[in-house]
Amino acid sequence: MELLQVENLTFTYPKQTTPALQDVSFTIADGEFVVLCGASGCGKSTLLKLLKREIAPHGEKQGNIRFSGVAQSELDERTGAGTIGFVAQNPDGQIVTDKVWHELAFGLENLGVPAPVIRRRVGEMASYFGIQGWYHQATDALSGGQKQMLNLAGVMTMQPKLLLLDEPTSQLDPIAADHFIDTLQKLNREFGLTILLVEHRLEEVFPIADRIMVLEAGKLICNGTPGAVAAQLRDHPMSRCLPSAARIWAGLSVDCPCPLTMREGKDFLHTHFSHRKGAAVPVHQPILEQPVIEAEGIWFRYEKKSPDVLRDLHLTVCRGEVFSLLGGNGAGKTTTLNILAALDRPYAGKLKIQGKPIGDYSKNSLYRRNLTMLPQNPQALFLKQTVHEDMEEIRKSIPDFNGQVERTIQFFAEKYAISHLLEKHPYDLSGGELQKCALVKLLLTKPSILLLDEPTKGMDAVSKAQFAKQIAELQAEGVTIVMVTHDVEFAAQVSTRCALFFDGEIVSAGTPNEFFSDHHFYTTAASRISRGLFDNAILCDEVITLCDEK
Amino acid sequence: MNAIDRLHPTVMPVYFLAILLVAMFVSNPVISLLALLGGFLFCMTQCGLREMRAELKFYIPLFLLMALTNPLFSHNGVTPLFFMNGNAVTLEAITYGAAIALMVLAVLSWGKGFGRVMTSDKLVYLFGKAAPQLALMLSMSLRYIPMLRRQAKQISRAQKVAGMYSTESYFDRLRSTFRVISALIGWSLEQAVETSRAMRARGYGLKGHTSYSNYHFRRTDALLLTLAAILLAVVLVGIGMGAVDFAYYPAISALPHTALSVAVYTAFGCLSLLPSCIELGEQIRWNYYRSKI
Repeated sequence: MELLQVENLTFTYPKQTTPALQDVSFTIADGEFVVLCGASGCGKSTLLKLLKREIAPHGEKQGNIRFSGVAQSELDERTGAGTIGFVAQNPDGQIVTDKVWHELAFGLENLGVPAPVIRRRVGEMASYFGIQGWYHQATDALSGGQKQMLNLAGVMTMQPKLLLLDEPTSQLDPIAADHFIDTLQKLNREFGLTILLVEHRLEEVFPIADRIMVLEAGKLICNGTPGAVAAQLRDHPMSRCLPSAARIWAGLSVDCPCPLTMREGKDFLHTHFSHRKGAAVPVHQPILEQPVIEAEGIWFRYEKKSPDVLRDLHLTVCRGEVFSLLGGNGAGKTTTLNILAALDRPYAGKLKIQGKPIGDYSKNSLYRRNLTMLPQNPQALFLKQTVHEDMEEIRKSIPDFNGQVERTIQFFAEKYAISHLLEKHPYDLSGGELQKCALVKLLLTKPSILLLDEPTKGMDAVSKAQFAKQIAELQAEGVTIVMVTHDVEFAAQVSTRCALFFDGEIVSAGTPNEFFSDHHFYTTAASRISRGLFDNAILCDEVITLCDEK
Repeated sequence: MNAIDRLHPTVMPVYFLAILLVAMFVSNPVISLLALLGGFLFCMTQCGLREMRAELKFYIPLFLLMALTNPLFSHNGVTPLFFMNGNAVTLEAITYGAAIALMVLAVLSWGKGFGRVMTSDKLVYLFGKAAPQLALMLSMSLRYIPMLRRQAKQISRAQKVAGMYSTESYFDRLRSTFRVISALIGWSLEQAVETSRAMRARGYGLKGHTSYSNYHFRRTDALLLTLAAILLAVVLVGIGMGAVDFAYYPAISALPHTALSVAVYTAFGCLSLLPSCIELGEQIRWNYYRSKI
């Protein structure tokens, strides 16, 4: 039975000439798990919002949307609000009240459900989602993963038939993201909940979806089973978004069904490339000289009585390195960056930046043409009405810059392809665009050390590939980069060295190829797939090259 | 520590208001002392001994300050102790100062204990009974304030590392604070749009809103409220009949000790000590149960 029918949907935002969606038609059957993907700005969020009348954007709309056979405009208010659930990207933005229990009850209160029924449903949901432990807590004290789980539970109390999710895991760390996706799968399997998920991390969701739809520039270009869509995208730029197993398959010309999961990928390699067993990626040891960051025996805690966050941390980063810190939440990675940026002071230990003890940098000289940091939330860097105005602020920090500011801004804007964004309001940019603008703003100060906190959070595969290229260029110019990230694939691609952070110190470090081949959990999908067959292969491209070599 | 927490949110405010009403409008040293004793004990059960010890460091100087400043400004009374700058310092003025100080301390300690007991959840619930919209607003603000604080910190740190504060001069810091605030306003508006969208998505604004709470009105609550009503009635009737009238000026009057006034003292004493007794009784019971295990 069709739960949702979309017919010839075309949508144009006000004051825009090109439609955001063009002639989109599809149906979703009751109980299906459908994943919608596409590059940033392809219209997938617009489509998802249009499906929920209460939050549909304004603009010119043509075509029909039917829910259980009823036209969207004729749905009664309660059905519209309750039976179509929506979970958005930002975990914080959707939480309305101050307490977890109130948040769970909020939707039901609005629907006018009697208190005893609310009690039952809230209790049920809290138990199902494992919320009992923090039921009475303030919503503000929750982690990102907990917040997003609460948002999902808050929607589920209203007993929706269709669940729409707009990149719900993009702000979460990988473990919380996996947990969230697992919960979605469970809801779909156990309760027959129909799910339409917009997602760009396809590694996990691709194999579990019933159907994949791909949007490109407002048009639906693929709509089929995961295997079929993977085959269709084989030579398409979007193939970068596919799971690693499918990407390896796409890069090799073998005539067989597309592998989707790790296991299928492994089987695929073993079936077709077992004759290449033992091939290895050569390991290049980076030349480490001219240390620019030297940290010795750093100890840090936030308050006198709180536990140590960093314990005896030793870290040396040399000029031109891209150093990635990986590790679980709360291991002290971000704290380390804050200490390197002199935002927090360790209570013991020595820290030298460019060979000079950090205490010897007077006032703000540390941040002048020396060290800068891209915060986890790049919005914090923008205070003005347009990106351009914000960049002009650089005059304040580099006085001798006058006269050249405009030229420099234009130079960087062209180099990073953000010229068209300069006159926009920072809040109107997408995650990837904002990240790029923030990077350019920081580069105007001509830093020689760049600290990056979760730079790829919320970026799609295409933006990530561009960002990787920019990092390589900066590295070639001699900029040292220290990056904290959860994104194992990205770290493997761009780093000269990676380190695993645990319990306040670095427990292992090495070149990406050594590092990821040694680890079983903190490693890339390509490494897991090729393990046992090839040595040291950690990227899809490396696996493909090893397979192709004669 | 949790007997009071288990009560319905309406119970404590009733006790609090009743005690405050009597303590603030009746100038009788026995009433003030009873209110202070009750307030202190209550505070102790809620905040713990250590915190109360720290609190005393503030209360004792405050008491002395108030008791001793009154005679400097008030020269009424018939029993001059000595003269200062040609003005009489009277026994009555000192006693009155001390009595007022007692009353203020009683109010302060009740306020502190009450603030500890009335968590935001309970306040929101009470408001919700009167005006549901207001309650939601209160709840949303309580959620919003810590977020705002965090965002402010993030912005100012991001700006600092981006080299935006050119010097550390006073004016520069002022300017940068202003920049952070203006950015926060923009961020708040953006946040408000997002939250209102999330609220609409979950059916906010539909007719027939209900409100949910985790609280139950139990027999104990009814019993305690009835008890409070009876005790307060006795006290008010007694006050109305002038059973506890007491004057400091011109001369300190004799402490009333008729049967009715003793009844008022007892009733008020019960009212004032009951919350602490409930809490202490609970703790003793716990210790007793634990010793049995």
